[in-house]
Amino acid sequence: MSKTLNLNELQGNILRGYRADLTHVRYLLLEVVDLSDARRFLAASIEGVTPGVPKLTTAAHWADKKPHMCFNIGVTYEGLKALGTPASSLATFPIEFVEGMTHRSLKLGDFGPSAANQWPAPFDRPDRLHLIATIYAVDRSHLDEVQDQVAQAFSVLGVRDARARTDANVLGPQYAGDGSPNNRVFFGYADSISQPKFNHLTDAQPAKTSDSSPLGTVLLGHPTRMEGVMFGVPSPKVLGLNGSFNAFRVLAQDAHGFEQYLDQAAEELERALGDRMDQLLPVDGELLIGFQKGQRREALREIVAAQMCGRWRNGTPVANSPSHPIFDIPNRDQAEAFNAFGYQAPSACPVGAHIRRTNPRDGAVVQRGSNLSRQMVRRGMPYGPDFDAAKPDNEERGLLGNFIGANLGAQFEAVMCDWLNLGLLHPDITGLNDPLIGANTPETSAFDLLLLDGTSYRLRGFPRFVQTRGGAYTFLPSLPAIEYLSKLKSR
Amino acid sequence: MAKGPGWFDRFVNDLPERRWFQFLSNIVVVPFWAAIDPRPKLPGGARPAVQPSESLQRMMNLIMPLKNKSPVGRAMAAMVISQNIDEIFTGLDNVGTIHFARFIIIDDKLCMLSVYDGDFSNYIRDFIVAIGNVFDGILSQVEDGDDVIPTRDNVEKFIDWVHDRDLFQLPDFATDIFALQDAAMNRPAGSPPHSLDELPRAMILQLKANPNFSLGGGYRGYAGFSVAQIRQKFGLGW
Amino acid sequence: MAQHDSWSDPRGLAARFHLSKEGEPEIATDLIAMTLPEYFTPTVDTFLAFAEMAKPTPYRRESAWRKIWDLLNLKIPQPDPYPGEIISPYEGAMDYARSNDFSKYSIYQVSMIGAPVSYARAAYHAVHTFIVTGQDGTRRWVRFTWTPTVGVLPRDQNEKPQDHYLAHELRHRLSKGAVEFCLMMVIGEVGDDFADSSRAWGSQRQRVNMGTLTLDKIAEDQLADCEHISFNPMRLIDGIEASDDPLLRARLETYEASRKARDGAVCPFSRS
Repeated sequence: MSKTLNLNELQGNILRGYRADLTHVRYLLLEVVDLSDARRFLAASIEGVTPGVPKLTTAAHWADKKPHMCFNIGVTYEGLKALGTPASSLATFPIEFVEGMTHRSLKLGDFGPSAANQWPAPFDRPDRLHLIATIYAVDRSHLDEVQDQVAQAFSVLGVRDARARTDANVLGPQYAGDGSPNNRVFFGYADSISQPKFNHLTDAQPAKTSDSSPLGTVLLGHPTRMEGVMFGVPSPKVLGLNGSFNAFRVLAQDAHGFEQYLDQAAEELERALGDRMDQLLPVDGELLIGFQKGQRREALREIVAAQMCGRWRNGTPVANSPSHPIFDIPNRDQAEAFNAFGYQAPSACPVGAHIRRTNPRDGAVVQRGSNLSRQMVRRGMPYGPDFDAAKPDNEERGLLGNFIGANLGAQFEAVMCDWLNLGLLHPDITGLNDPLIGANTPETSAFDLLLLDGTSYRLRGFPRFVQTRGGAYTFLPSLPAIEYLSKLKSR
Repeated sequence: MAKGPGWFDRFVNDLPERRWFQFLSNIVVVPFWAAIDPRPKLPGGARPAVQPSESLQRMMNLIMPLKNKSPVGRAMAAMVISQNIDEIFTGLDNVGTIHFARFIIIDDKLCMLSVYDGDFSNYIRDFIVAIGNVFDGILSQVEDGDDVIPTRDNVEKFIDWVHDRDLFQLPDFATDIFALQDAAMNRPAGSPPHSLDELPRAMILQLKANPNFSLGGGYRGYAGFSVAQIRQKFGLGW
Repeated sequence: MAQHDSWSDPRGLAARFHLSKEGEPEIATDLIAMTLPEYFTPTVDTFLAFAEMAKPTPYRRESAWRKIWDLLNLKIPQPDPYPGEIISPYEGAMDYARSNDFSKYSIYQVSMIGAPVSYARAAYHAVHTFIVTGQDGTRRWVRFTWTPTVGVLPRDQNEKPQDHYLAHELRHRLSKGAVEFCLMMVIGEVGDDFADSSRAWGSQRQRVNMGTLTLDKIAEDQLADCEHISFNPMRLIDGIEASDDPLLRARLETYEASRKARDGAVCPFSRS
């Protein structure tokens, strides 16, 4: 097992994100209609020398041959069936993937307007959604070109455009609404700062620290964080090995509703905190947050936004800097050092904060030993028109999220249904859902703001800010697995 | 005004109590209906729900027929449990989401009953990490257990194995069984519509498909709290 | 008019909490409850459709042959009518339940609800969702139930029907000692429909014991102290609000009409 990974055999979007200048992103939601067309396309995409078929991007280092376009695919369970995968092999895939996201959506907190039966096409027909292809490109014309090529082999059921953020130093001197929307998601947060890192490409010495994750976190057939336990590799081995799973989610964000709620919360705090105000916003604290003297309500809005997320909107961890964001981190190394924080008690970050629920780091959790084992890779890209808080509108916008891991049940679903919602990881928040993206209703929602003296103030009555508008579980096969799929003879 | 019931009415009213009628029902009427209107076996365990309290104090009722159906076989099962007390407590202390666990032998079946918080598959997975060897010991004593030993190498398979043997839980509201049956048969709920007087038949045929039921999802003296919340409240550490 | 106390039917318990101190203007809150834990329908329109469909129709004993047919179909034969029971909503209600899933459970329950051996041995549910505000300002969406401390005990339905026993039983029981009910409050959660009283909440919700109701005597003048009181589910003091349940709102008018029919007193502290 200590054989070095062949990076040419891995799809390139698993271990790392793509270069910052590939800012245009498109998802193609595909159905296999002509099996031989589909197989021919898959076979050709591996070598990438056939005219009219894009080359699959691998994990191999680019050196100085930087492509203008990256192309990857994920296959749903229905897709594996449609491509003719034998039943004996299908039976070895894990139940979460087999049932699919639509079937398991209640577990993910998708109810009411987010319920799977409310999802628009093509997510209303999971039986027809076979593949999801991802295109990253430097410009739009490359997206169109690849889409035309793909459409020759598959039926395009739907298209979702998004944009990648720039990979700028997010802890730099930027601030929400500063005119650089590309490195932020809606709600104004810098995103995708902390990810599992894969610094070693062999299994010989499984990583023990949070700095580096074992390959089995995202690749099937490698050691995981759980001692002696590996995730099942679907058979045949050529199909399963070095594959990964992805939870693709279309998450509509109510940017206007979120800003409105911050207004409401700030007003409530001004009214309700009284003498305790200093414990949330010290005298002249608004200056450190980036406002003029006296703009206390504006500052309180940012404090609420920061505590709900666990990071200030520019990315500064609340655990490191509870009363204001930090603007002057000069370089990437220092930014990384600043990001190596923990939640040892007493932490300045509320237990219920979004990033603490989804990645509790070294903080105490009820399920001991799960601190790191549920980690996964997240790749989210904003979609929809820019949001201008001064001229709010009701256009749909949000995030196309990819949550990548070797086991959907042990990582994505575990975090979604035990931690993000339910709050089972810590007794102080059990029964409460994530304030930012959880399945909330104003009647039942609650979040405890942490004051500097360690006491808390409970905010209530906030709505659900993020609605699910579609999604699918896909398998991200290795290149040998794609070749295997392309050579299937059955059906 | 109508006459009171005659002897034939009284006779028919008493039919369900008559042994011979029960016998005939059992060998003719029920098999007939099971043949023309079968219900699929419904999955076991607590069902997902949005309400947080429904993800707390969930019941697992795992029923495993012993391989060796004799006092010897039952004793061997008893020994596996009694030899692993340290492992079991260690699991309780570290998995962190278990309220109660009980092992019972009933009629050559080893039953593992527990009350836990949160997602089922992660509860089982965390236990395999903590005390997989105890599961292996139990599995060595029960039918079809060898297929998933060692559990550490068969995590997903073992989770499915347990799920398959976990008792179906009748909904709190009995009439909800129609919707569960429709879903299991891939039909939209209520199509065709169900008449209320078909509820007994729905129940009988379901009990034919799942001979063992959990009646309701359990009733709780202090519902809606996790293990860790209770331990924290009483200063026991969590 | 004969009171068929042993017939299977929901019973009610209305309570008024008098909450004003000596010398203050009278304030009170009412809690109206019944032995059925949910309503038949979620909205006024569906309720009217249900009431229309479940109009009592002539009720005859099912023939013995029909009962055998039911048994062969794995159905429970329709119960025989009680002596003197000549009309019943049974058939219409069953038809309604067939096409309206939301009403299935309540109609199933009401068809089997039976009769209590005593008014003091039944649980009474206030059914609608109310919003209660805690001392710290926290608002919770809740439902209330009275549970008898001596336990629920239904009458054996195989026993010979009996009229007029419930009032007498209660009088007799109170002559030996007071009767108590716990007021249990169930807290609603995300995902619960607070405006739909046709759906009871599952058994996992947090239940809070809010206190005890002690019943120690029966009003001497039933007409003045009971029949003439106009209970109103919307009579609520500060700290308790009605939810958006349309049936709860509609009941205000219904109770008003019912009061007029009984010649009850206008509510002395009506806010309207």
